[in-house]
Amino acid sequence: MPELRELAMAAVQAAADGEHVEAYAEENRQTEVSALRGEVEGMTFAESRGVGVRLIADDRLGYAWAADPTAAEVRDAVARARENAALAEPDEHHVLPEPQGFEELPGLFREESARAVADDKVRMALELEAYAVSRDPRVTKVDLAQVGDAVSRSHLASTTGIDAGYARTDAWVVVVTLAVEGDETQTGFSYTIERGLDQVAWQPIADEAVGRAVAMLGATKPITAKVPVVMDPFAASNFLGVLAGALNADNVLKGRSLFADMVGQQVGSEHFTLVDDGRRPDGPGSCPFDGEGVPSGRTELFTAGTLNGFLHDTYTAHRTGGGQRSTGNAKRGGFKSTPGVGTSNFFIEPGALPFGALVEKAEGGVLIQDVSGVHSGANPISGEFSVGATGLRIAGGAAGEPLREMTIASTLPEMLRSISGVGDDLRFLSGVGTPSILIGEMTLAGV
Amino acid sequence: MLDRDLVAQVLAAARRKGGAFAEVFVEERSSTSIRLDDGKVEELTTGLDRGAGVRVTLGTTYGYAYSNRLDRDSLLEAAEAASAALRGDAPGNVVDLTDREGMGRNRAERPAADVPAATKVGWLRDVDRVARGVGPEVIQVTGVYGDSLQRRLIAASDGRWIREDRPRIRLVAQVVAKRGDVIQTGWCGPAACAGVEFLDLHPPTETADKAARRAVTMLDSIPAPAGEMAVVLADGTGGVLFHEAVGHPLEADAVDKEASVYRGLIGTKCASDLVNGVDDATPANGWGSFDFDDEGEPAQRTVLFQEGVLQGFLYDRLRADKAGVASTGNGRRESYAFPPVVRMTNTNILPGATDPDDILRSTERGVYVTSLGGGQVNPATGDFVFGCAEAFLIEGGQITTPVRGANLIGRATEVMSAVDAVGSDFDSWEGVCGKDGQGAPVGSGSPTLRIARITVGGTGA
Repeated sequence: MPELRELAMAAVQAAADGEHVEAYAEENRQTEVSALRGEVEGMTFAESRGVGVRLIADDRLGYAWAADPTAAEVRDAVARARENAALAEPDEHHVLPEPQGFEELPGLFREESARAVADDKVRMALELEAYAVSRDPRVTKVDLAQVGDAVSRSHLASTTGIDAGYARTDAWVVVVTLAVEGDETQTGFSYTIERGLDQVAWQPIADEAVGRAVAMLGATKPITAKVPVVMDPFAASNFLGVLAGALNADNVLKGRSLFADMVGQQVGSEHFTLVDDGRRPDGPGSCPFDGEGVPSGRTELFTAGTLNGFLHDTYTAHRTGGGQRSTGNAKRGGFKSTPGVGTSNFFIEPGALPFGALVEKAEGGVLIQDVSGVHSGANPISGEFSVGATGLRIAGGAAGEPLREMTIASTLPEMLRSISGVGDDLRFLSGVGTPSILIGEMTLAGV
Repeated sequence: MLDRDLVAQVLAAARRKGGAFAEVFVEERSSTSIRLDDGKVEELTTGLDRGAGVRVTLGTTYGYAYSNRLDRDSLLEAAEAASAALRGDAPGNVVDLTDREGMGRNRAERPAADVPAATKVGWLRDVDRVARGVGPEVIQVTGVYGDSLQRRLIAASDGRWIREDRPRIRLVAQVVAKRGDVIQTGWCGPAACAGVEFLDLHPPTETADKAARRAVTMLDSIPAPAGEMAVVLADGTGGVLFHEAVGHPLEADAVDKEASVYRGLIGTKCASDLVNGVDDATPANGWGSFDFDDEGEPAQRTVLFQEGVLQGFLYDRLRADKAGVASTGNGRRESYAFPPVVRMTNTNILPGATDPDDILRSTERGVYVTSLGGGQVNPATGDFVFGCAEAFLIEGGQITTPVRGANLIGRATEVMSAVDAVGSDFDSWEGVCGKDGQGAPVGSGSPTLRIARITVGGTGA
C-alpha cells in the first residue's frame, strides 16, 4: 500500500509547466459500538483512504478525487482535474499558499488511543448502557448508547512547496435516554469528545442524559410571553453554526452575510466575545495547519460585541485584498471536495459567572436546554430565526417546571445585543463551544 | 464488479460464527458536480468512489466493516472484523449465489455520462442569466448541478445476488435578493433517479425563475404572526411535514426501541379520516425509487394510513425478523461506508376530493405555506418543528401579504388529527433526509392540506 506522502507527491510531480497542483491524501480508521438492552446492538469498523487533487491552470480551478488510488490513479485524477479546470472560468484569486512553517500540535495524536482494542470498546458500550438505565426508575431504556473512536492521518503537498502531514486520534461517547411516566416519553441527550476513550468520563455523560430526560417529564406548553432566558451550552451551540456561516468571508464577498458592512461596529453586547482558535490543546477541532497548509491560529471575530473581521482561506484573503491574510480557516470535508472556509474550534469566550448565578439573574424566565429546527428555521443570510425550544421555568432562583412546544423567534443581531451575562462553564460540543448565556429578554411563543 | 466465488468466500468468512445472515454490498460510484456562484463557474469536480461493506447479524446485533479496497485480503479482513462482535460458535452456510433480476425502473434514457461537461456548464449559465433577469433586487445566484451513477452489487448468504444501477441527477438554484436592509432567499432544486431527459421536464431556466421569484416575493414580507391558527399547506409542502413528523416515528427501529409515539397503535385512529398515506419506492425514476433496497429486498408500496387508521410500520431485514413480519423494503444506506438503516423512500399523502381553491376560500384567517424549508422531529415525543421558506397570510379566504420567519411547531398525532381539508391536487418535493449520520435521497408528496389549528412561531402580531 503506498504511503500517503508518496500519493500526494505523485500528483504534484504530474503538474505540467505553468500549472499549480495541490494534493490532499488522507486515511481514516473508525470504530463505533452501540449497546441496547444489555447486548451489542451494532459494531461498525470503517477504513478509508483517498486523494483529492486541486489544479489551477491559467487562473482556472479544477478538482478530482479518487478512493484508495494507486500512484497511477492519482496521476489520472490530475488529468481529470486538468479537464475540469479547462471548463471553469478564470479567477485571479485562485492561488495556492506558500509554505509558512507551522508548529506541531503533539497532543493531537495519542499512541495509546490508536492501540485501543475492539473488546475494550464493546465492554465500555455495554457498561455505558447498563449504567444509564440504572440511575432512575423512570429511565429503563436508551435510544442510543454509543462509543466510538477514530485514527486519522493526512498529508498535503503542492507545487508551491508545501509538504506536511499529521495524525490525530478522537474518541467520543453519545447517550440518548428515554424517560417514561404514564403515557409520556421524554428524551435526554449528552455527548463528549476527547483524544482517547480512556480519557472519556462517561458516567457524568450518562448521568446528564438521564437528568435531562427526567427533568422534561410533565412538560407543558407555556403562555406566550417576553421573558429573560438562559441558554445552556447544548442550546446555545446551535446558533454558532449560523454565526459561522455569516462570518465566512466567502459569504461576505458574495453578498450572503448580514455582517458584510458591520466591521468595526458594536453588533453584540459587551459580554459577547467570539473566537476561532485552531490551536487550543483541548479543542476537538484543533489542527497544526489548515486544509491548504496555512498554520492555524487564533482569530477574535467579535471583541466585547465589536465585529473585527471574518474567517478567511487563501482565496477569500486574496480576493479581499488590502493586506488581508488567510486566518488558517480552509477546511476540508474529506478528500472528495475542495477546501472552503470553515471553523476550527469556534467558541464564545467564557465569563466569570457560575451557571447558578446566571439562573438567579433570570428570575421568572426560562432555562432553554434544547432548540430544534435551526438548520431550516435560521437564515444566516438575513439573520432571522424562528426555532422550536424546550426548557425549564426559572422560579425562586432555580430551574424547575418543564416547558415544551414553544418557539423563539428573533434576529441574530438582536439576540447578540441582548446578551447580558456569560457563564464560566465553556463546553465544546464537537468543534463549537459555548458557556451558558443570559439573554435579557426574548419572546417565547406558546399558547 | 467482483467475482462470484470471491464473494461467496467472503460471505462464508463472515458467517464463521454463524449468525442469521451475512451480506456483502459492493459499490462503484462516479460523480460530477459543477458549481456556479457569483456569476462564475467556480468548480468542476469529478470523483470515482468504490468500496465494499460486509455485515453479519444475529438477532438485532450486527457487525459491519467496510473498506474501499476491493482486493481479496481486504475483503476477508472486513468479513473477519464484521463477525468479531458476534458470540455464535457454529459456522453458517452460504446458499449458491443466484441472480435476481429487477425491472429497471430507474433507467436513464440519456445517461449524464454521455453529455459533455460544457453542456452542463451551459445549463448553469442559463440559471444565472434567468435568475438575474427576474429583477434588479437579485444580488446573488448559486447554481449547482450534480449527477452520479451508482453501480451496486448485493449478495447475501441466503443466495441473493443482485445488481442494480442508479443514475441520479439534480439541478439546484439558490437566489439572494436585497432591497434596502431586507435580504431574502429563494431555493428550488428538482431531482430524479434518471438521465438528463429529466431536465426536459424541469428545465434549468424554470428552476432559476422559481427560486428568484421566491426570493423577490419575500422582500415584501412582513414578520409572521405568532400563536395558534389555521395553516394551509400548498401541494407538495405537506409531504415534507408528513415525512418528518409522521414518517420517522413509523420506522421500525424507533418502534423497536420504544422511541416512537405510534408504538402499539396499529389499527388505531391516529389521524383525521381524510388522511391516506403511503411509502412508495415503485414510481419510475423517483428520487427515492429503486428496484431493490440496499439489502436486496424488492421495492414496495406500503400503506401507512387508511382513512386516518394506522396500518403498519416500515421495516428493514433486521427489524422485520425481530417482529416476525416481512421486510417492507426500507433498508437503505448512503453508501458502502454505512450499514443499512430503516428509512423512507417516497412518502406521500394521497389526494382527496376537495378543490384546492375552495380550501383557501373557506379559510377566514391563517397562513398559506408554499415552501417548507425543512424540519426536525423527536420520534419519541412526536414533537416537531418546521421552517417556512415561503408563506403568505390568508385573510377573508384570500392569499394576501407574504410573511417571513414563520415556523410550525406541534405534535405529530395532534396535527394529523387536525387535518380538516385535503385537496384533489398533488405535487412532490425531493430532499436528502439525514438519519444516523447518513443522507438518503427521499421524495415526499401531498395535495393541498389544511390543518385547522397549529402553532405558528413568528415575531409579528
